[in-house]
Amino acid sequence: MLLTLIRRELLDNLMTFRFAAAILIMLLLVVANTAVLIKDYERRLEAYNTAVQKHRQDLLETKTYSAVGLTAYRPPNPLSIFNVGLDKRLGNTLRVSYLYVPTLWDAWKHGANNAYLNIFASIDIVFIFQGILSLLALVFAYDALAGERERGTLRLVLTHPVRRGHILFAKYISAMLCLLIPLLMCFLLVLIMLTTSASVFLGTDDFFRIGGVIFTSFVYLSLFYLIGMLISAATRRTGTALMLAMFAWGFLVLVYPNMILTAIETDPHTDTETSVYNQIKQIWEEFDRERKQFLANDPVPGEDWDFGLWGDDGYTFWGGTDDSSKLLYYESTGFHFETLKEESEPQVPHAQNYHRFFGLQVTNTADRTWIVRKPALEMIYVQPAKKEQMLLKFSPVGLYDSATEAWTGTDLSGLQDFFMAGQRYQQAVVDYFLDNKIFESRQWFVAAKGEIDWNMLPQFSFQRSDIGTNAKRALPDLFLLLILNLILFAIIFLIFVKSEV
Amino acid sequence: MIWHITRRELYDNLNSLRFALTTMLLLALMLTNAIGHLREHPKRMQKYNDAVSESMTRMASHTDDSLYKLAQEGPGKLYKKPSSLYFCAAGGDPVLPDTIEGGSPFGYSEHLRGVWKLKYPDANINMKRVGPDVTKLDWAFVIGYVLSLIALLFTFDAISGERERGTLRLMFANSVPRHIVLIGKFLGALISVSIPFTLAVLINLLLISTSNAVHLNTEAWGRLGIIFLIALLYMCLFLALGLLVSARAQRSAVSLVILLLIWITVVVFMPSTLASIASEFSPPMSSEPFWKRRNQIQEELWQKYSRWVWSGKVDKETLTGKSEFFIQDAEAEERLNQERLTEKVAQVQHARAITRISPATLLQHLLESFAGTGFERHLQFVENTHRYARQFREFVADTDRSDPESLHIIGVREGMTKKKILPEAVPKFEDTLSLSKDFNTRATELLLLVLFVMVLLSGSYLAFVRVEV
Repeated sequence: MLLTLIRRELLDNLMTFRFAAAILIMLLLVVANTAVLIKDYERRLEAYNTAVQKHRQDLLETKTYSAVGLTAYRPPNPLSIFNVGLDKRLGNTLRVSYLYVPTLWDAWKHGANNAYLNIFASIDIVFIFQGILSLLALVFAYDALAGERERGTLRLVLTHPVRRGHILFAKYISAMLCLLIPLLMCFLLVLIMLTTSASVFLGTDDFFRIGGVIFTSFVYLSLFYLIGMLISAATRRTGTALMLAMFAWGFLVLVYPNMILTAIETDPHTDTETSVYNQIKQIWEEFDRERKQFLANDPVPGEDWDFGLWGDDGYTFWGGTDDSSKLLYYESTGFHFETLKEESEPQVPHAQNYHRFFGLQVTNTADRTWIVRKPALEMIYVQPAKKEQMLLKFSPVGLYDSATEAWTGTDLSGLQDFFMAGQRYQQAVVDYFLDNKIFESRQWFVAAKGEIDWNMLPQFSFQRSDIGTNAKRALPDLFLLLILNLILFAIIFLIFVKSEV
Repeated sequence: MIWHITRRELYDNLNSLRFALTTMLLLALMLTNAIGHLREHPKRMQKYNDAVSESMTRMASHTDDSLYKLAQEGPGKLYKKPSSLYFCAAGGDPVLPDTIEGGSPFGYSEHLRGVWKLKYPDANINMKRVGPDVTKLDWAFVIGYVLSLIALLFTFDAISGERERGTLRLMFANSVPRHIVLIGKFLGALISVSIPFTLAVLINLLLISTSNAVHLNTEAWGRLGIIFLIALLYMCLFLALGLLVSARAQRSAVSLVILLLIWITVVVFMPSTLASIASEFSPPMSSEPFWKRRNQIQEELWQKYSRWVWSGKVDKETLTGKSEFFIQDAEAEERLNQERLTEKVAQVQHARAITRISPATLLQHLLESFAGTGFERHLQFVENTHRYARQFREFVADTDRSDPESLHIIGVREGMTKKKILPEAVPKFEDTLSLSKDFNTRATELLLLVLFVMVLLSGSYLAFVRVEV
């Protein structure tokens, strides 16, 4: 019986014009946008490769440890084609220095040729589905019950010994089967385009992630179909059902996500910003005092920290950064000589002695500022972002977006993985410097070509988190979507069973 | 007769569910927009004023020092004045740079500093914010997306619905010309969508204008009037589209599906997809060749002038050599910067021109230019800074010329007047916008929009006249 019902509904839906038109438009949009997105990905990948290569070259040409500028580059995520998330927006170049623990707020961007192009919105696959799939589902659902009731066929069907639950179920199953066709066709097309593209490499995990995106899309689709069905079950006339469905779509997809963040302000923590920033500054001032004290007490008279060293092609640097919005403050001092004059040689042990002290203290200072800075950054930037995300999740669109972002690894936690790797790398480099007594070595400030083996330095490596982590991050939102589905189905069932035909 | 049909349509609509929902939706949107603007705008103005006064103080300190210092350091940062009609169209302003630098000369060594030049910072993308990205809720969004959708929802069944119910047959049985029916329907829908929209706009403006935080002058009100008219024109376009499809489609459901698909393609996807495709062509110079060229030019200049530049002599020849080096170097870099900017702008303009196929983009462009935001406004700002830079340089030259004791060699301390200059005499940068200019640049787009409306209206007339009942 159930099968007969499903077959009937399926034929009813599949042969319609709206179905054909919707599939056509969707395929067109998906193909056009995927082509653009793949091109964009290729460009970003190329910029990444050039940057990494150039950095490698620069490193090999560096002659002293103090002049070395280590940088970690973030490769573009191939799955950003599905949901771009924060992948393109956040910085992709992270300077790794012993002076501070790097965070995502300290990163900057390379490889954007024309930043003015940002005035155009970028579209990803999930965005297309967000808009069109939900609309399609509603268009399928609005007359599912109201239409039959209006035409009187519902009465006819109910004269047979069919359970009402079965009718509902058959309608749901057949519509979902219908809607699955455009969904799978689109994903298939995207996958074909991705796999034939020469620059995109997808691993096994990536295919599972895409599977996760497809499943989430399916659940999202089902949710909108059920919303439409609820409206259809609750109204008497198709005209009313259609209007309600359209306004529901407009509100949930179009209006709510854009309205809510304007309506509710997430408070800026300017007080913590200034107080923490001053704290960090104080820590550095303390460091500076100790440094001066050391210089005053050491065998060389005066607080002069270049010890009267003389050499060719040398420079001393004294600088730093103070950016209160990032809570970043540090002072960097040092010198670099290509060759050292003979008469300066007796001073070298003093300079080495000073740098032993300097290395220990400066890394210690960096660690101490990090203890203050980490929670403050969390509070100033991450918490409002989480709150905004939470507000968006009151609409299914927000849930869908954050779940797919989590699958593709372009959400905040996914990107934080990279910056954590950067932090670990910084720690490794600092440990290497301390363990191998690099700070107090002569090569810290005097060039010694060929003497430094840069390959001995820890190498930066970053792997995107494994599929399990992605799943763990996506599951809460996916679970919420599923629960919403169940609740809606239960409500529809109750309404439909109790309604008079 | 037209009025009769219009009235009938109007009554029909006013009692309907969609009218109530539309009113609620538009009111909620416009209220949120007003509240958001009242909260954000004072902050924006504060930031701008602070920045400008800081820039002024810095310039005053240079003025106190000497004319040489002023000529060297330049006018400092020049800021784009935020529009008071920001709530109409944010127009990419969050990603466009709000400042152009006229300052920070290159220091070759401690005693050798060049002269200032104009620098164009890249867009200010906020890389610190990690929150989700959403469209700014401005009038452009409300009109472009929501109002157009509502216009379609009011017309998709205007004809096909009557045909389904059989009332169309009934109406044609009377001796009413078909075009009268069409015009009546069009006017009816127009008025019934305009009512909630006008109401929402009025409440929005009431909130904004009564608050102390935002001052709207007469010109701003004029601009608002134009924006309102453009919104009505844009609405007419979608009403005509709805009537056209409704006349052709046999059933309302089919008509709606077609309309929604057209809407989502034209309004949501076309602007960004076409822009991405179009910007593939004419890419600007990338940074590496740019720096290569820059270094090459600098090297040539070094070779030409190096014997004067490092010289410590203060005779006229050395000073002139130094001055020429500084000025030519600054000019060369400024030219290069400008060239690169022009290329970037050309790429964006190209993309913008192609996306004008979509009426939603036309509306966005029109609203942006009348609200004084967006890309065109940024270009105007750039032009303003150029004009000011010229003025500033002329001022320096004139002031120097007025002192007979000076050697009139700009860019070196020994060659310029040592007289005190009054800070008030230095020209101040003022970022302005003119309405007449907007009209000229936007005329094509306005015409295109009108053309779209005309084509769709005549299309729906033809479709309706030939319709079989």
